[in-house]
Amino acid sequence: MEYQSIPLIEAQHLVKRYGDKVAVNDVSFTVYSGEIFGFLGPNGAGKTTTIRMIVGLLQPTSGGVRVAGFDVQSQPIQAKTATGYAPDEPNLYAKLSARELLRFVGELYDLDRQQVNRRIEELLRLFDLSEAGDDLIDSYSHGMQQKTALAAALLHDPRILVLDEPTVGLDPKSARLIKDILRQMAARGSAIFLSTHILEIAERMCDRIGIIHQGRLVAVGTMEELRALGKGQASLEDIFLQITGGTEYAEITEVLK
Amino acid sequence: MITASLPVRQVSLWRSVVKLFRLRLLLFYMNFKRAKTRRKVGYVVLGIVILAALGGIFALSWGALALLRSPSLAQYFDPIPLLRSVPVLILTSAFVGLVFTSFGVLLQALYLANDMDFLLSAPVPMRAVFITKLVQAILPNFSLILLFGLPVLYGLGLSAGYPLAYFILVPVIFLAVALSAAGLSSLLVMGIVRIFPARRVAEVLAFLGAIFSFLCSQSGQLSNRMNFSETQVANAAQSLTQLDSPWNPLAWAGHGLIDLSEGRWLLGLGGILLSLGLASGIFYLALSVAERLYYTGWARIQIGTRRRKAVRQPAAVVQPGRKAAPLAWLTRQIPAPVRGLVVKDWLVLRRDLRNMSQLITPLIFGLIYSVFLFRGNERGLSGSREIPGQFGMVLSNLLVYANVGISLFVGWTLQSRLALMGFSQEGKSYWLLKTSPLKPWRLLLAKYSIAYLPTLIIGWLFLWIITIVRQGSLETMLFGMGVVALSTAGAVGLNLAFGVAGANFKWEDARQMMRGTTSCLAAIASMAYLFISLAAFFGPPILVELLGGPAILGQIAGLVVGGLIGLLCAIIPLRVIYPRVEKIGEE
Repeated sequence: MEYQSIPLIEAQHLVKRYGDKVAVNDVSFTVYSGEIFGFLGPNGAGKTTTIRMIVGLLQPTSGGVRVAGFDVQSQPIQAKTATGYAPDEPNLYAKLSARELLRFVGELYDLDRQQVNRRIEELLRLFDLSEAGDDLIDSYSHGMQQKTALAAALLHDPRILVLDEPTVGLDPKSARLIKDILRQMAARGSAIFLSTHILEIAERMCDRIGIIHQGRLVAVGTMEELRALGKGQASLEDIFLQITGGTEYAEITEVLK
Repeated sequence: MITASLPVRQVSLWRSVVKLFRLRLLLFYMNFKRAKTRRKVGYVVLGIVILAALGGIFALSWGALALLRSPSLAQYFDPIPLLRSVPVLILTSAFVGLVFTSFGVLLQALYLANDMDFLLSAPVPMRAVFITKLVQAILPNFSLILLFGLPVLYGLGLSAGYPLAYFILVPVIFLAVALSAAGLSSLLVMGIVRIFPARRVAEVLAFLGAIFSFLCSQSGQLSNRMNFSETQVANAAQSLTQLDSPWNPLAWAGHGLIDLSEGRWLLGLGGILLSLGLASGIFYLALSVAERLYYTGWARIQIGTRRRKAVRQPAAVVQPGRKAAPLAWLTRQIPAPVRGLVVKDWLVLRRDLRNMSQLITPLIFGLIYSVFLFRGNERGLSGSREIPGQFGMVLSNLLVYANVGISLFVGWTLQSRLALMGFSQEGKSYWLLKTSPLKPWRLLLAKYSIAYLPTLIIGWLFLWIITIVRQGSLETMLFGMGVVALSTAGAVGLNLAFGVAGANFKWEDARQMMRGTTSCLAAIASMAYLFISLAAFFGPPILVELLGGPAILGQIAGLVVGGLIGLLCAIIPLRVIYPRVEKIGEE
């Protein structure tokens, strides 16, 4: 890929402490333009904390993140202009309709109003929300809210897209749609950073994968590089379990058989 | 695969009820255990206060009821009918109170709590779940009613020297009444949720509850000002005793208690058994019908609200060559994010009834009190004819400025809610603002506008209306408009700064938006500012008037001094809090 020399997300020695607990411990990685980067890890490993530091929702205890060349802490406006983010729990304004919410997001990003209106209709059609676009969000199912949050993240056509568990709660059609959108965006030179528990998605879609365990980034690389790390393990699931110490569960399930 | 199945045990109803109660107790205990020491001390103090209240009510009732039975009083009136109606009144009030107060709790427990699916899919009888939910729903209100009712009835028993059976039967009857009330309340919930979405019902209930509790909190003040006559009070008391009718099943229980205690065994036992049987029947019927309705699912149609689709209007397109309206031109000069935030907040505040109740109550408060002030002023004016010379003029000027005070007061209550909660009301959706490229000063400007503009409009509107009704001068009205605009500007700045300092995005209930300490500090600071501001605005004109100078000079001086204070309070607190705006929402 011709874009792959431009670093769009650069995490440098990220540390986040909550009192004595270290949630993220010296995490460094780079995501390049045109790349889909999968971020994996067991529950409570520090995935969401890392993501929240990338998008400026959390202040790192030490270290820093640069997004599109801008420091998230000292140049937040420039960094946030380049970023689109959809969290794992949508938590949208329940008393707005999807159209109103997207219009509001358009104004937050100071986009041209007519362009925003056109884009809103495109996104609502894409996510199959045109019919429900004027209903209040509190009447939406979790999947519909997730799709609305994704539409909001895509509204300003960001160069960097950060998604926390984007396919949770989505039907297969919508999940497939997300995958297609992410591939298209990467092909156009955007950097995609996504966390997921669905290893099949990570294996098939991501150019590179990072595995975080107990706050530390224990492995980063392409599937081939991870296979080399995994001592001959062929599937991402086996590699993941070997790295994060989940192999003992296989023995337990054997006993249950 | 595991094929050797686990032994299937017969699950008994009462065993499951005990298990579920144990779970509730455990949750309560864990909450207490994990609470901060300050809160734990608070609970203990509350417990002691409740016990003291119990004792106080008991002693008071005992004394008062013994006094009613005293022979010296008996020669003036016959206390027996009144004493006989005491248990009836208390039981009826408890029943009616519980039917209504349990409604909201049951709605929450049956439809909006997330544990219902978990409990119903667990191997416990459904009836056990319902019994636990019903008891859980009535427990807080039942305790409250017991707190007031039990000491009165025990006081009645002691003053009349009733036997032990009376004291045992009173709580039993209370319990039966409470359970039947909860049963009926659960049916009411199921019926209403059949028609309206549960969440909407909860919002409407919260709205009505807030208005009602506000009116109750002001009832003392209102009744003082409404000057009820003795006849009106006597009529109201008389209408209460009408509850003591033979058609009221709760009267059977109330009279039964007294008859039984006074030796009319057959009559008393009949009344008590009849009412206990009826209460048990209602509870059982309500329980089985509610179970069936819940299980068959016809009552679970809608949890959320679904707004009917509105016909979408195409976005207005400005034709080339056609002049845009001045208002549209003006709005285009406002930065888009600020405009977006103002529109968003307006829509959210308007649509969420929980917010509406918080906005409407200060307005009702303002309106009611301004009417009282208005009437009071008129009385004051008519009574001040004999005041001579300079003082009379100063007094009449003071009353002219009272119009401005009323307008300021009405707006004041509104701005304190809008400014103080401006940030917290974003709740869990704050991430949308936090991850957008929104400059902190724009966010502050938007939140400032959301609080300031409606307050200014309402304050001015009041001022215009009062000036027209009281035929005030244009000069005073213009001065008043300046006062309202500048004084409100300072108040909004002050409250908004406190709103940033105490911003809380992790609330579920809109009433918990603001932290207690911040609200308290904000109220103290606002009150201090109000006094200083009023003195600065009205002091110079009154002083100039006293010295015999022209009124306009005093008003200009007032506007300069007061305006300066207002503007300083609008700018300095926000300047101090500004660095924090960038950081709020980050843990």
